[in-house]
Amino acid sequence: MATGNYGTIRPADVSVEDVEIFYSYTPNRESITSVELFPLDPSQVLIPASDPNNVSEIFGGLYTLKLPTTVFGTKGFYNIIIRPKQIRTTIQDCSVLIDNQDVKGIVFDINQIPLEFQNRFENGNLVGYRVEYLKEQSGTGQDKIQNLFRIITSNNRALPVTQSQGNSNASVAYTFNNNSTSVFCTVSPSSAPAIKPNAVPFIGNPQQDVIITNTFFDPVMLEIEMVEFDDETLAYALFSNQTKSLEDGIYTIYNFGNQIYRQYNLYEVKDQFTGKPLYEVREQKFTIDPTKDFDDITNF
Amino acid sequence: MKYIRKKINLENFTVRSIPKSVLTTDSDGKTVIDTSNPKYYYGTIPEYKIDKEGNFILNVFGQKILNTINVDLFLTHKFDDMGIFTDEPYTASTETLTNKPIGFNSFEYGRLAGAPVNFYYSPPNTVTGYTDDSLLKQVKSYRKINNKDVYVPNLNTSDNPQKTFNGVLEENGESTKYKIGANTNNIPNTGVEYTTFKNEYSQTTDEYGKNITYNTTSFKVLNSGWNNFNTSLSATTKKEEYLGVVFKPEVESVVFINRGIADIFERHAILSEIKTTNDIDTNRGGFIRI
Repeated sequence: MATGNYGTIRPADVSVEDVEIFYSYTPNRESITSVELFPLDPSQVLIPASDPNNVSEIFGGLYTLKLPTTVFGTKGFYNIIIRPKQIRTTIQDCSVLIDNQDVKGIVFDINQIPLEFQNRFENGNLVGYRVEYLKEQSGTGQDKIQNLFRIITSNNRALPVTQSQGNSNASVAYTFNNNSTSVFCTVSPSSAPAIKPNAVPFIGNPQQDVIITNTFFDPVMLEIEMVEFDDETLAYALFSNQTKSLEDGIYTIYNFGNQIYRQYNLYEVKDQFTGKPLYEVREQKFTIDPTKDFDDITNF
Repeated sequence: MKYIRKKINLENFTVRSIPKSVLTTDSDGKTVIDTSNPKYYYGTIPEYKIDKEGNFILNVFGQKILNTINVDLFLTHKFDDMGIFTDEPYTASTETLTNKPIGFNSFEYGRLAGAPVNFYYSPPNTVTGYTDDSLLKQVKSYRKINNKDVYVPNLNTSDNPQKTFNGVLEENGESTKYKIGANTNNIPNTGVEYTTFKNEYSQTTDEYGKNITYNTTSFKVLNSGWNNFNTSLSATTKKEEYLGVVFKPEVESVVFINRGIADIFERHAILSEIKTTNDIDTNRGGFIRI
C-alpha cells in the first residue's frame, strides 16, 4: 500500500502532439472588438530543446516558439495561449464495477475517439486527465458547464455485465476485460465528501459530451507586443553613423551595421517675396536614395 | 496559468540591406532602386529567410527556411499526489499468454492482458559494490588463536543452519571471502558474497565527524531484479477517502494578547470607540480594560 501525499513542480517534457496553441491579435489596447482566437499548428511552431549531452533526449521545460513573420509581423499585441490538447467525446455509459459496486465510473467507447488519440485510452493512460462536461441540451446559452471538472484516477477496458434484480429487471455493471472497446474510468471525486455524506458528486450522464484534457503541463499565456522601436533603434539616432548630403539635403541615419535605417529631406521654407527663411524642415523620405550607402560615401 | 509578457522589436526582422543587383539608372542618369526587382525587400519582413543579396537561404534539403520570430519559454508541470492507493490481488479473467511478445518491456507496454506475472520479471542482475567489514564478525569462529579471530572455511555460523548458510568460503593471507544469507542447497547462486581485504583500508566519518577506518569489503549479489520474490499482479485501487489528507485538521483559535498600555492616548482612543453601552460588551471581543 502506498501512502503519503506529495507534490512538486517539474520541467514539462510534454510531446508537441499533446499541445494546442491559439493566438489573438489586436493593434492596440484600446481596441473594443471581442477577442477572436485563431489556431496554430504546434508541430510547426513549437520546438522542444534537446539535451546537449544526450541529443536524442528532450531537455525538459525549454521550448522555442517559432512565430511565422507572415502572421506575427505586424505592430500590435498578440496573445498566445499554449494549453494541453483537448479530446472531445461522448460518455457511453455511467456505471459501477461488478465486483466493487461502490466504485463508480464513466465509460467511453474507444471507437468514437479520433484515431490519433485512441492510444491515450488504453489501460492506465488516461490517469491524471481532466474531464469537463458540456450541457446535455446545447444551444441553451453557454454549452460548457462552467467551474466543474473531474480528474480521471484510473481507466481500464471493461465489458458490461448484467445482474438479475427483482422479478424482471437486471442491473448493468462492468467488469475489466482487455478485449472490450469500452473504457471504464474512475474519476475523482466520485464519492460523497465526509462533510456532506448525502451529496453525490456529479461524474456525468450517459450520452453527455465531455472534453478530456491532459494535464502534462500548466497552460501558459504569452502577451507579445510587437514594436517598431526599442532602446537599440533609439540609439541609432544618438550614436550610429549619419550623413548629410549638402548637395541635395538628404540626411541619412544608419544602423550599427551601416545599413540605411532612415532618410530625411532637409530644407528651408522661405518667404516667396522677401526670401526670408521661415522654417527649417526635416521630413522623412520614404523612397530611399541608394546612393547614400555609408561605405560608398566613406570609401575615398 | 502562467502569464508571460514580452516586447519584441520588429526592426530586428526588417530587411535594411539594398543589394547592388536591385539598383538601376533612371532616365536622368540617377541611380535608383528597382522596386519591382524580386530581390528588393528593403523595409519589409520577408516570409522566408534571405541573405544580404536578397537570395533565399536554403536548408540542407534545398528548401526555403520560413522566417520566424523565435520566443523561448519554459513550460512546467505542477502536480500533486492524487491520493492514497492500495493494491488488491486479483486473478486475471482472460486467457493466460504463454509466449512473451518480442521486445516486451513492462515499463513500455504497461499491463498486458493475459500476461502472467513472470512476463514482468527482469533478467537476473548482478549487483556489486563496497561496504564496511561489520558483517565479518558474523562468520568468525568462536575460538581465537593468539587472541586473533579465526575464520574457518565452510563453517556455518547461521542461527538456522538447516536452511541458511552464513560462513566463510575462502580464507587466505590477503582476504576473507564469505557469504551471508545463502540457501544451504544453493550456496553459489544465493546470498550476498563479501570479500574483506586484510591489507586495504577505507575511511569515512560518522555523524559526529569522527573518522572511522575499516577493512575494505566488496560485495556481490546475483539474481537481483524483479522476480517471483518481489513481484505480484495487483489491481491498484484508489482510496478516495484519503484524497488530500495529510494530517488531521487543526482549528485555529484567536490568540489573546494583553499588550498593556503602550501609548498615553490609548485609553482615550479606546473610549472613543465606545459609543453605546452595548459597545462595552462587544468592543475588543468583550474584553475591555481601561
